[in-house]
Amino acid sequence: MDSSNDEALDIIITNVVATFRVRCHLNLRTIALEGNNVIYKPEVGKVLMKLRKPKITASIWSSGKIICTGATSEDDAKLGARRLARVLQKMGFRVRFSAFKVVNVLAVCSMPFAIHLIDFTKNNRPIASYEPELHPAATYRIKHIKATIQVFSTGSITLTGPNVQNVATAVEQVYPLLFECRKPLRK
Amino acid sequence: MRFCKTCGGGDIDVDQARGSAVCTSCGSVLEDNIIVSEVQFVEGTGGVSSAVGQFVSADGPVKAPLLGSGFHTSVGKESRAQTLQAGKRQIQQLGSQLQLNQHCLDTAFNFFKMVVSKHLTRGRKTEHVIAACLYLVCRTEGTPHMLLDLSDLLQVNVYILGKTFLLLARELCINAPAIDPCLYIPRFAHMLEFGVQTHEVSMTALRLVQRMKRDWMHTGRRPSGLCGAALLVAARMHKFRRTVKDVIGVVKVCQTTLRKRLTEFEDTPTSQLTIDEFMKVDLEQECDPPSFTASKHKAKMQQLEHELARKLDEVEGEISCYKDEIESELEKSRPKLRGIYAAYAKEIDPEDAEVLSLTSEPEVPEVEEAELQAAAQHLTQNFLSQVIQEEDGQKADDSEQGAGPENEGAGPQRQAASLAVILGKLPSAASLTLQQTFQTFDEETQGKPDDEQSESGELDLKDIDDQEIDKYILNDQEVEVKTELWMKQNAEYLKEQKEKEERIRKEKEQGTYKEKPKKSKRKKDQVAASTAGEAIERMLEKKKISSKINYDVLRDLNSRGTGSGGGSSPSRSSPDPPDNPAAEKRLNRRRRRKASDANRELAANTSIMSKRVRLLLSSTSKKKIPALQAGNAITMSTDASPEPEVSCPPAAPHFVDKEQQEEEEEEEEEEQELQEVEEECVSALQLVGDYGCEEEEMSFDLQG
Repeated sequence: MDSSNDEALDIIITNVVATFRVRCHLNLRTIALEGNNVIYKPEVGKVLMKLRKPKITASIWSSGKIICTGATSEDDAKLGARRLARVLQKMGFRVRFSAFKVVNVLAVCSMPFAIHLIDFTKNNRPIASYEPELHPAATYRIKHIKATIQVFSTGSITLTGPNVQNVATAVEQVYPLLFECRKPLRK
Repeated sequence: MRFCKTCGGGDIDVDQARGSAVCTSCGSVLEDNIIVSEVQFVEGTGGVSSAVGQFVSADGPVKAPLLGSGFHTSVGKESRAQTLQAGKRQIQQLGSQLQLNQHCLDTAFNFFKMVVSKHLTRGRKTEHVIAACLYLVCRTEGTPHMLLDLSDLLQVNVYILGKTFLLLARELCINAPAIDPCLYIPRFAHMLEFGVQTHEVSMTALRLVQRMKRDWMHTGRRPSGLCGAALLVAARMHKFRRTVKDVIGVVKVCQTTLRKRLTEFEDTPTSQLTIDEFMKVDLEQECDPPSFTASKHKAKMQQLEHELARKLDEVEGEISCYKDEIESELEKSRPKLRGIYAAYAKEIDPEDAEVLSLTSEPEVPEVEEAELQAAAQHLTQNFLSQVIQEEDGQKADDSEQGAGPENEGAGPQRQAASLAVILGKLPSAASLTLQQTFQTFDEETQGKPDDEQSESGELDLKDIDDQEIDKYILNDQEVEVKTELWMKQNAEYLKEQKEKEERIRKEKEQGTYKEKPKKSKRKKDQVAASTAGEAIERMLEKKKISSKINYDVLRDLNSRGTGSGGGSSPSRSSPDPPDNPAAEKRLNRRRRRKASDANRELAANTSIMSKRVRLLLSSTSKKKIPALQAGNAITMSTDASPEPEVSCPPAAPHFVDKEQQEEEEEEEEEEQELQEVEEECVSALQLVGDYGCEEEEMSFDLQG
């Protein structure tokens, strides 16, 4: 449905957030001192480690739980997570890679038309909300696939959801609604 | 026909006046307080006759409850009634400041009742909820009130109010119509004092706003900004001299926003019309939204830059070709070095090469150097242009000894720098080769074999380049250096931690150590009752549930147990006052506590927040000064402001303490119990947490 027009819509995934566990207690000070590219935050109690290859920032807690952000695809996130676990393993911790889960995916998409936000909000009353005093975009929440879409008047939209599949479905769902309230852009 | 439960007799006397049902045979009372529908009159003082009974409203407070059996239910109702009453009062207060009519206030109260019944007030400040209800009413009625106005009155961040408002609107399924900037125009026009012509200016401004709407300037923008721009233009059109400053004072946007709207309007074709034309004619075409045009503009600029860059490259290429030719010509024409000098010339090469390798990478084998040279040759042209720019005649001479040595001759330092530049620009090929050399470097110096630990039962090592991962781990020497650095950097934090530990150890020895609760909960009031009876008594007194219990009797029952109890402050080795004064003092304290409960809530909230958002707290806590303490606000803010440098956790509870103390000081003057205050001081500190040195500070503050 989304590519039913002449041009296919490009959904660009900008951020994938994932969490996983290493099943062992980690000594943050050791990691901070032996690791390259690490920032230690003792007040909060975590270590930020940045990887270069899949460009990823990971927050590491001493309990062994790790949050991995900045990847551009789900596979990338998994690769980065495994790399991270390998680094920790090399530092000497008894690491077991488990409970990898992608938690949040952020994507942007650009419509070839501008959108009249007030009409859009009126048509989709309780699901969409638009408060110009607070935020320039209208927020559309799809409950059953748990996706949130922020619609801007220029036609670009940002989508957040629990995985990439949901995000794609969300775009397909919301496209016809946006199409109704469109305004063709002059070139 | 009813039968008595005790004797089974059927003769039951129901007295409507007293509202009781009694069995005449055995005398047992079957019912008490029957609800009657008779109206009776009594004569009061001065001959005024009034109806007997109490007015019981459907949702109002149940003031004469059945105690004993109806204990818990009436507690709940009373609390609910109190909440609603307090809410109503606040709505009236806030609403009158906004000049809302009674109908709106009633509607707002209805919203509030709905909110309370859906338990949405839990975890939210009543102020915020009230503000959100009022704003909801404003939106549904279409009054020209902005969320900004409400946040100004309450001194709360507008986004926090907005969040609450959105949530309430969603939960109550109220669809507030979208804000129309046209609604605000009459209000702002009035404030700008146009005198007789206010109406005309408003009409012009309205037309302008409608035009802006059609030109797609208003989606996603704050309506107040648009109104400001429209009013400014309208005023000028009618020959009123209103400056930008006047307008922004009324409209509450900043100068930049206003100017931006004006420029956007300028870009539309409508701006080209004269005043008369504008009033009569409406242009057909609509514009694109300004942000879209801006991004297209940016895209165009980027394209232009690309092209320019490409052209520059080409031109440079040409120029350097010419330079090459010129130099080769020069070389040929220059006299060649002969004899000894030729020998020297040759020696320079290997020397330079050594210097090169020394300066660029200390331990890298010579293989790298050759690769570097090859890499450098890729960008010879860039390098040459650099060389020529630097205009170093002598070095340039040396460099004319072939393509490769040209690089070396230009001086080792520059060489290293330009190499870095070159390396930075290089595509992956060169960097890969460099990586390899790094790896060899690692392996040589570390001599670390690849560990194939099989403990990671679940870790899949596919696609993971172990050697790359090795780079992520520093070697021992580096670890030492880093440790030193880190220790130096975080010296303060480490010191703090040590002090804390010492303190805790000391207190453990003294037996006064308490698991530090960072959140000062209200429950602390109920702590440390030695017996259950005592606890109940305290609770009853605090809540003032019933006027029918004889508290004295209740107290006397447990009076023997109270001597050992440490009072409602958590256990501290404070001198035990005698029984009766202790009970009195406790009562007083409790009364005070009740009054300062609201502040305690605030304190509790602020100290809870201090855990999460500390920085925000120091700014918002200054703002969240309840109306009660308006008088103290100045002193408090001046107290709080000299301490922004102090780290925020002490600042927040410090503020909290001061609040509590100020409150206590106020009441202290009324009751004149200095001793109490000192105890309070200590207990308040205890509540919030131990800050050793500040303890003394605070006691000095109070005494002074």
